[in-house]
Amino acid sequence: MTDTTLTILIVGLLALMGVGLYGLLAVRNLIKVIVALQILVKGALLALVAAGAASGQVNLGQSLAATVIVADTVVAVVGLALAVQVRRTVGTLDVQALARLKK
Amino acid sequence: MTAFAWLVLVPLLAAPVVYLIGRWGSQSNQPAAARQAGLAALIVAWFPFVLAAQDFTTNGPATLTVGAASLTLDGMGLLLAALALGLGTLVAIYSTEYMAADENQEKFYAMLTLLVGVMIGLGCATDLFNLWVWFEAMAISSYLLVAFYRNISTSLEAGVKYLVQSAVGSVFVLLGIALVLAKTGTLDLAEIRAAAELSPLFLAAGGLFFIGFGVKVALVPMHTWLPDAHSQAPSGISAMLSGVVIEAGLVALLRVLAGLGGLAISWGVVLMLFGALNMTVGNLMALRQKQVKRLLAYSSLSHVGYMLIGLGVSVYAGEAAGAQGGMFHMLNHGMMKGLAFLAAGALLYTLHLSRGSHDPLTVDDLAGASKRYPLVAFALSLAVLALGGLPPLAGFMSKWQIFVAGAQTHNVWIIVLVIYAGLNSVLSLAYYAPLVNVMYRKQPSEAVLAGRMMPTAMLVPVLILIAGVVVLGFWPSLLQWLTGPAGSALLAAFGG
Repeated sequence: MTDTTLTILIVGLLALMGVGLYGLLAVRNLIKVIVALQILVKGALLALVAAGAASGQVNLGQSLAATVIVADTVVAVVGLALAVQVRRTVGTLDVQALARLKK
Repeated sequence: MTAFAWLVLVPLLAAPVVYLIGRWGSQSNQPAAARQAGLAALIVAWFPFVLAAQDFTTNGPATLTVGAASLTLDGMGLLLAALALGLGTLVAIYSTEYMAADENQEKFYAMLTLLVGVMIGLGCATDLFNLWVWFEAMAISSYLLVAFYRNISTSLEAGVKYLVQSAVGSVFVLLGIALVLAKTGTLDLAEIRAAAELSPLFLAAGGLFFIGFGVKVALVPMHTWLPDAHSQAPSGISAMLSGVVIEAGLVALLRVLAGLGGLAISWGVVLMLFGALNMTVGNLMALRQKQVKRLLAYSSLSHVGYMLIGLGVSVYAGEAAGAQGGMFHMLNHGMMKGLAFLAAGALLYTLHLSRGSHDPLTVDDLAGASKRYPLVAFALSLAVLALGGLPPLAGFMSKWQIFVAGAQTHNVWIIVLVIYAGLNSVLSLAYYAPLVNVMYRKQPSEAVLAGRMMPTAMLVPVLILIAGVVVLGFWPSLLQWLTGPAGSALLAAFGG
């Protein structure tokens, strides 16, 4: 892999993680929070692929990324299931409203 | 197939079977099927555990290789397996009554079995990515258990908080893995250790691992999910989360740091610093709590602090005693906090849950509880006094071992830290003692007078844990076969 490709990958992953982290901090809708989380994980996926390529272990890096996709999808499913339940029970998806419920 | 392979496989394979049996049971009007299947699965898992433990004491660590991935049952793995399986079985017995009236019990028992199996696997992982997969599986099974009361808004809030924070933590771990992979081209922890050097890249990876795994270990300031999750989960699960899951996170963190072991000394210092921070914040926050389960959750923070000090001292000074003390405290904390949560949960059940209320159990509710529920009140008092480090209970023995190990380093800073930990231990009595006082010296509260009978199935695990806490206090060397190898395995991994 050329240095240029690696640089593009690193810029891409930093951008994705930046967007994800910003989203986690700025967004109040629970579904959007989970979307932000997904963007963050996509950054990490890119990091694994880039690391595999940089160390000459392309297969290893990509198989790790494939495994992460599976695990991460399960997390997203659980998160969205929680969001459905929050909407049903509390009547809103606003994270701050959920936090205010605590006595 | 070796006993070790079965030890990992039995709970993992049993989890879906438990779910199916429970599903069948709830459709054909046999609601007890789920709990019987769950309990049976965990009891069956004891057979391979005993065989694997015997094999370990005679032949040393066993290795299981499937394709490119391999698991090794060493001292630390065995300790975690014993803790997970022991507490898991007691929680399954306890929950037969505690959860009896709830819907979706098949999910509860399937997830509990899965959680136990995954933690056994986590303790044995020797490969960085393998470790991450087990870690993530543990997180996923515990999300569902934390948010088990899915119609209660506070438990949903706890579940959301836990999920988001853990998921961000696991992204940090992945980034750390990517850094290590990019530098060394391997994921095997032993090979990484051989390649590790003092470079900014490894320091950055270590920092990422501290943050990522630290969320699960509840290192301050990544601890904010813990009081919510531990207090909102069903009480049996609170005991599992507090008694085993945070310890499993700690084992994962230690394994990874050992992989970056060329820098062993600096990691020891970081561990001790987090230890001091955890003790301080945990104790100070616990002082202000009115709800019993939140108080116990904050006290878990401070106990992680004691473990970190013992482990940090041993990593820093290369001393086996500190590691053994830390591991012993891990085991004791599992029992003491398990007992505390199960006893508090039993009171929560009789005072609130069995009457259809999901109100939290407050300290005031406990007033005069000893008059109606003498055994459970005694169990809760014993547990909190052991947690506070009152001799001759179990908690005192392991704290003492940690403090002695710290003092033996003859390093002024570590001795100051040990004295500080001792003072913290005294401070913790300031919130444990009022619990005992309120149960024994006050007139019974309305909640206590209106409370239901205590079910027998809840008393069995409570009695077993009482025996454990008392016996280990008088005879701390009883579990030396478990904590000794665990401490040495840690030091060996760090190259001590």
